[in-house]
Amino acid sequence: MGAINGVTVSIVLFGIGLLGLIFRRDLVIKLLALGLVNSSTILCLVSLNVRRGGAVPILRGPDIRHVVDPLPQALVLSAIVINFAILALALVFVMLLVERYHTTDSRRIEHEIDSEGSS
Amino acid sequence: MILVLLPLSHFVFSSLCLAWHRGARALTQVSWGVDAALIGALWWGVRHGKTISVGLGGWGRSLGIELSADWVGLVFALLALLVGGAVSVYLSRVTLRSYFYVLLHLLLGCVFSILFAQDLFNIYVTLELLTLVSFLLVGYERTSIQIWVSLKYLMLTALGMGIYLLGLAVLYYHAGTVNLSELGVRLGTGAQQPWVIVSSSLLVTGVAVKAGIFVFSLWLPAAHAVAMPAVGALLSGLVIKMGVVVLMRLAAVFPVSVPLLVLGTMTGLLGIAYAVSTYDLRKLLAFHTLSQIGYLAVGLGIGTRVELTGAVEYAVGHGLFKALLFLAAGTVIASTGQNDIRSILLWRSRIPVNARLALLVAVLANLGLPPFAGFFGKAVLLSGAESVLIETILIAISIGTVVSFLKLLPLFWWGRGPSTSRSQSVSFLLLSVPIVLFSPLMQWLLPEWCWSLSFRTFPAVESVLIVVFGCLVYRFLPWRRIRMPDWVFHLEEATVIIISGFLLVCGLSLLP
Repeated sequence: MGAINGVTVSIVLFGIGLLGLIFRRDLVIKLLALGLVNSSTILCLVSLNVRRGGAVPILRGPDIRHVVDPLPQALVLSAIVINFAILALALVFVMLLVERYHTTDSRRIEHEIDSEGSS
Repeated sequence: MILVLLPLSHFVFSSLCLAWHRGARALTQVSWGVDAALIGALWWGVRHGKTISVGLGGWGRSLGIELSADWVGLVFALLALLVGGAVSVYLSRVTLRSYFYVLLHLLLGCVFSILFAQDLFNIYVTLELLTLVSFLLVGYERTSIQIWVSLKYLMLTALGMGIYLLGLAVLYYHAGTVNLSELGVRLGTGAQQPWVIVSSSLLVTGVAVKAGIFVFSLWLPAAHAVAMPAVGALLSGLVIKMGVVVLMRLAAVFPVSVPLLVLGTMTGLLGIAYAVSTYDLRKLLAFHTLSQIGYLAVGLGIGTRVELTGAVEYAVGHGLFKALLFLAAGTVIASTGQNDIRSILLWRSRIPVNARLALLVAVLANLGLPPFAGFFGKAVLLSGAESVLIETILIAISIGTVVSFLKLLPLFWWGRGPSTSRSQSVSFLLLSVPIVLFSPLMQWLLPEWCWSLSFRTFPAVESVLIVVFGCLVYRFLPWRRIRMPDWVFHLEEATVIIISGFLLVCGLSLLP
């Protein structure tokens, strides 16, 4: 395998997602970055356990010795569903905030809410 | 059978609540009875320190899903039963959408599945579900601040669980299993390999974001203080404890004792510092949760049998009295209309007697005075501390707890308040009775060896001395001058702190 494989790509994507979470102030972009972080862990989980030329893991298949490991794929399936749920719910809440404050800027929203709380 | 039924029945009840709006409250009472019966049956199964386990799907231990219950799971299940029951009784006169009960059942179902989960991936899924449910519960009233705080909670914990999943990936690549007991066997020999350190620090960081460890759980104070009081009770009493349970399971398998000790100390002392400097009643309680989690984490970090027993006892006791504190504080705030302790004290004649008494019981338990619940766990944790340094840290955290609670002292002066609500009294009683009768209850529940470990030493004098010393510090030291920075709780800063916290955990794991 070369230097560019699933694992290194996933680590780079994780880093990009983190930078987005930290430096972008737009809440929607922040959520996209969060999605990137979570998807990159999924990529990592799958590509760490890859097996070149393995067959599809189906019981009673042609040759059971050369199948890929089915467990990570099963795990990843539930992780994808969970990430989808998180993104969907978070976007609904962002929508509610945008309706009230007419901005997606996290700093401004946080500032306005803090000043409301103190007054 | 019970292990599958207990979580699953709640998912059934939640969908029934969704379908039948008017009967949601009645259904909750029915489910409470079902839970009590199932937990009774569970107690029958595990009563002599035995473990019952069941493999789902018929794939064996290393591949399939294993559920198992031992005495730890049993006492936490009982905690869930009591807190859930108290919250639903407390809310029985409040008009709520049936959606709230749907969420309540989902929460309890997730709690039970975490308690019985034996593999790390199942723990991941149930923790994420718990995050989603508590996210919706925090934002239940839809005020702007609740929405913002719950969004922050969701983003930070989702990042944490992403980190956890990364750790799981590394672990599965090297060890080939995610089952905890199998991992214990496979890691038994080469425990200090680099991949073990990387994966265990990733896993611990991920869980620490949920468990209320301080530099990671920066969402916690705001979330617990802003949510409805009943939701605050659920979060502080139950949801945080689930993170602690998972940390306990991790600490049993991985070499993470040094990071846990350091993180626990940091959590305890910083939690105290913030608690001392705040005057918001519910924020005070939230920061207390942090400091007591630090106490627990130190116990888990030492990791001897005595300390683990103490940690379980204290976690359960803390769940009980913290839930009671949040519920009573909810009544106090509703009756006076104030959040700030100084203004509450001005209006204290309006506080009903039952809330006052409940608050008194819970505070005494939190201070760790004997017959109450907090005393036993604290005493066991203290008696198991081997080095002087750790003992000093634990005593310092206890003294700090006393100092920050003394602000509430004028609340307890006797006075006839307005009439009390019966449902609230019942709910306070439901939590206070086990707090007062904690020791016979634990004697009845725990296996004999745990009990004999707990009662080797009985430092009642020590706990009274700590309270006296705390009063002296409160009177004579300038603790009012302490000011803690608020910027750490902002979203971006919290993200940076979580990542640097991971590096810290990594570095600490490298130490012998």
